[in-house]
Amino acid sequence: MEQTETAVDNLKVIVFQLKDEEYGVEVNQVKSIERVEHITRVPRTPEFVEGVINLRGVVTPIIDLRSRFQIENADHSEATRVIIVTVDGMDVGLIVDAANDVIDIASSAVEPPPEVVGGVEAAYIRGVAKLEKRLLILLNLDKVLNPEEVAEVKEMESGSSK
Amino acid sequence: MERNQYLEMFIDESTEHLQAVNDNLMKLEQNPGDTAIVDEVFRSAHTLKGMAATMGYEDLASLTHQMENVLDGIRNDKIEADSGVMDVVFASVDDLEAMVTDIASGGEGRRDVSAIVNRLEHVEKGTAPAEEKTSGAIIPESRALTYDDFERTVIQQAGEQDFNAYSVKISLSPDVILKAARVYMVFEVLEQAGEVVKSVPSVEELEDEQFELDFTIVLITKETQEDIQQRILKVSEVKTAEVKTVQIDEKPEEMKEEKNQFEEEAALPAEQGVRSPEPVSEASQKPVEKSTESSAAPQSKTIRVNIDRLDSLMNLFEELVIDRGRLEQISKELESSELTDTVEHMSRISGDLQSIILTMRMVPVEQVFNRFPRMVRSLSKELEKKVSLDIIGAETELDRTVIDEIGDPLVHLLRNSIDHGIEIPEKRRNAGKPETGHITLKAYHSGNHVFIEVSDDGGGINRDKVLQKALKSGVVSPENAAQLSDRQVYELLFSSGLSTADEISDISGRGVGLDVVKNKIESLGGTVSVDSSAGEGTHFLIQLPLTLSIISVMLVEVQDEVYAVPLSSIIETAIIKKDDIMAAHNQKVIDFRGSVVPLIDLTSFFDVPVTREENDYYSVVIVRKGEKMAALVVNSFIGQQEIVLKSLGDYLQNIFAISGATILGNGKVALILDCNALIK
Amino acid sequence: MAVKVLIVDDAAFMRMMIKDILVKNDFDVVGEAGDGAQAVEMYKDASPDLVTMDITMPEMDGITALKEIKKHDPDANIIMCSAMGQQAMVIDAIQAGAKDFIVKPFQADRVLEAINKSLA
Repeated sequence: MEQTETAVDNLKVIVFQLKDEEYGVEVNQVKSIERVEHITRVPRTPEFVEGVINLRGVVTPIIDLRSRFQIENADHSEATRVIIVTVDGMDVGLIVDAANDVIDIASSAVEPPPEVVGGVEAAYIRGVAKLEKRLLILLNLDKVLNPEEVAEVKEMESGSSK
Repeated sequence: MERNQYLEMFIDESTEHLQAVNDNLMKLEQNPGDTAIVDEVFRSAHTLKGMAATMGYEDLASLTHQMENVLDGIRNDKIEADSGVMDVVFASVDDLEAMVTDIASGGEGRRDVSAIVNRLEHVEKGTAPAEEKTSGAIIPESRALTYDDFERTVIQQAGEQDFNAYSVKISLSPDVILKAARVYMVFEVLEQAGEVVKSVPSVEELEDEQFELDFTIVLITKETQEDIQQRILKVSEVKTAEVKTVQIDEKPEEMKEEKNQFEEEAALPAEQGVRSPEPVSEASQKPVEKSTESSAAPQSKTIRVNIDRLDSLMNLFEELVIDRGRLEQISKELESSELTDTVEHMSRISGDLQSIILTMRMVPVEQVFNRFPRMVRSLSKELEKKVSLDIIGAETELDRTVIDEIGDPLVHLLRNSIDHGIEIPEKRRNAGKPETGHITLKAYHSGNHVFIEVSDDGGGINRDKVLQKALKSGVVSPENAAQLSDRQVYELLFSSGLSTADEISDISGRGVGLDVVKNKIESLGGTVSVDSSAGEGTHFLIQLPLTLSIISVMLVEVQDEVYAVPLSSIIETAIIKKDDIMAAHNQKVIDFRGSVVPLIDLTSFFDVPVTREENDYYSVVIVRKGEKMAALVVNSFIGQQEIVLKSLGDYLQNIFAISGATILGNGKVALILDCNALIK
Repeated sequence: MAVKVLIVDDAAFMRMMIKDILVKNDFDVVGEAGDGAQAVEMYKDASPDLVTMDITMPEMDGITALKEIKKHDPDANIIMCSAMGQQAMVIDAIQAGAKDFIVKPFQADRVLEAINKSLA
C-alpha cells in the first residue's frame, strides 16, 4: 500500500455486528462507544426507538438497530454496545451486538448495494465492502436516522395505534 | 457622651459601609433600575446616619440624612438615578469619606457640607411634584365633621342596636416619625374595639401622610369612651385622644372629599365601614412592596463570577464526568470492592457538583423584570397615559446569558405598548375602556421552551396603517397585500424599514424598529410573534429555547417507570377508591370536590409495560389547564423535587404529551409530562 | 426582678447603643444577636421578656425572625427598630405581631416609652 494514498481514497470505519453480519460506519461520524446503561422508554415513538439515556448529562435518544433493520430481537449480552453517532448535529445512540474494530477500507473496495426487494432497506446501505473473507455493509447514517422517515414511520404508527 | 470606647468601632464600621456604598453606587450606575442595589446603599447610608447621629457628628449625620432622602426617593421611583443625580450622590460620598478620615485622624469630622446638602435637597425636591400630582391638594388640618346620608343611616342604626357612635380625635406627638405606621396601629386598636365608619382625612390620605398631626375617626362600638381613650393612648407617639359621642343632627353638607368617600363606601355594599388602611395595597406603592419582599428574602452573601470562568468550570467538569464513567467501567471489570466503593462515592459527589454547576448559571428572570415597573411608570407619565404593569412568573429561571440579552427586546416591546398600544385616557374613556391601560408581562415554562408574553389592552394594531407603510417601503407588493391575513400583516411589523409611528418618537427609539427585537430574539435561538385585536389589544409572544431551566415537579411511578409532573399544573394529589370511578360517555370520571373530572390512566396512555398488580385504590394526580381538570392515574407518588429541564433533542421532537426530560439523582432519565397536551 | 431583654441588630455599634440605654435603666440584657437566625435561637435559649429587633439584617431579616419567634412563643414581646424609610415594613411587622416600633437613631426616652408601654 502506498503511503501517499490520499485520505479520500480510504475510509476509516468502525465495524460492528448485528446478528451474523458486520456493518461499518465512518469514524468521523462516531462520537463514542458506550456500554448499555439504563434506557428510559419514551412512549409514542417508533418501535425501533428504544428510548433515551443519560450520556454525561445530555439526554440522548437510542435506536435499536436490530429493530430498525427488522432483524429479530435478542437479549443484550456483555458485548452489546451503544455507538453514539452524530448526524446533522444530532447525537443518537445505536444499539449493536458488538463493536469490534476500526479498519481502513480502500474506497475502491466498496461496491454499490445489492438490490433488495422493498426499497426502504436499500436506502440505509451506502455500499458493501469486500475484505478478504468479510463482507462489510456500510451504512448511510443519514438514512438510518432520517427524521423525515422517522416522522413518516411515526405517523404510520400513531395512525395504527389510534 | 463617652465617645472614645465606641470610636474605633465607629471608624471601622463606617469605613466598611462607605466602601459598600461606593461599590454599590458604581453598580447602580450600570444598572439604574436595580432597586436591590438602591436598597443596599440605603441600608448602609442609614446605618451610617444612625452611628454618626449617636456619636454627635452632626455634619456627617446631616449629610447622610439628606443622602438617605434622595436614595429613598430613588427606590420609591420618585427620583430617577440619572447621571446628574449620581454625580451628586457620588460627591456626597466623597465628603462623607473625607469626614470619616478626619475623625480617624483624631479630628471632629466637621466639614462645611451646606453646598452638597443643598444639591441633594434640590435633587430630592426636584421631582417631588410627582408625589403631589398623584395625591391631590394638601388637605387642611382640621375640618368640621359632616356626615352624608349613608353615614347618618349607619350611625342611626348603630344607635338602635345599642352601639355607641364616637368621634375620636387623635393627635400624634410632634416628633412622630413614621406617621402612617402610627395611624395603622391606631386603626388596629380601634378595629379591635368596634368598627370604623368614617375617617377624616380619608384612609388614602392618611396612608400617604397627607395630614399634619391630627385625624378624626368615627367609631361604632360597645365600649365606653374611657376605654377607647385608654386603648388609643397605649399606642406610642400618640399625644392625645379625644372621644366624643357623635351628634347626628348636623346637616349633611356636600363636601367634595365626603362625596368621594361615599362613593368608595357605596362600592362596598356589604360592609358597613371604611376599610382600614391596608398596608401598601396600591399598585403605585408596588416598589415599596417589592423592596419589602426583596429584603424579606435571605440576604445571602454573593460574589461576582466571570461567566467565562463558569464555562471553563463546566467544561472541565464534563471531562471529569467522562473519566468518572471510565473509572466506573474499570472498577466493574476489576471487581475490587474498595475501588467500586470509592468510585461510587466519587460518582455521588460529582453528581452533586453537577447539579450545583448547572444551577449556578440559572437566574430568575425577575432580575430583568424588576426595572420595568419603574420604567413603565416614568414612561407613562411622560406620555400622559395611565398604565399599570402586571408581572407574572418573575421567578421563572433562565440561563444567565439569555437573561442578559432578553432585557433590551423586552424594554422595546414594553415601550411599544405604552407608546403605540395604550391610548390616552380620553380616548380610552370614549371607547368605554377603563382609563388605566393594562400591560401584562408573563414568563413561564412550557414544553421545551421558556415563554415571555407582553400583552396590552390598548387599541391593537391598525392593519391598514401597517399595510400602507409596508407598501410604501416596498416590503410588500400591491398584489400580495390583498392576500395577506391579519396575522401576516401584523407580522410585517417585524420587517426592517417599517415604523408606523407618525413621528419617530424618542420613546421607541429613532426608527429602531421591531426588526431589531426580532433579530435579537432569533439570535438567542428563539422566535417572536404578534397577534392583535383591533380596539382590544396586542399580544407579543417570545419563545426562547431551553438552555437550562429549573422547574419543580412531582415525581410519580407509573408501573416501573418514573415520570415528572410539573408542579405548576398540579392542583392536588389524591387516593381514590376504584368504586368511586364512574363512567360518562365511555370516559371514566371521578367526583373531585364537586366537579366531574375525567380520569386518564397513564399506564394505558403511554403504553407502559404492566408490572404491578391492580389495586382497589388508585393514586391520582389532579392537574389543570385553565378551567379544565384531569385526574392522572399513577401507581405511586415519589415526591416533590426541583429538576433541571433537559431537551429531548432534535431527533425526538414533538413527542405527544411529553415536554422534556430530566436526569434524576440516580442518573436515570425521567420524562416530563406536558399536562396541557393531556387535557384536551 | 429585672426585665430580660434580647437585642438584635447586625451593627455591633447599634447593639452597644441600645444596650447602654437599657443597662442604665436597670434592664437585664440577656443576649445580643447579629442576625435573625441567631435571634430565634437565642430567644429559645434565653426566653427574654422583651426583644428589640432590627428589621434589615443578613441571613434572616427581622420580620421573618419575628414570625419565627411568634410561632415558638405567641406572647413574645418584640419591638422593631426601623429606619426612616421602612414604613411598609413596620406595618408588616405590626401585622405580624410586633408590639411597637422605634426609629433610628434612638432617643433614650422614646426607647423607654416604647418598652414600658409594651410591658404594661
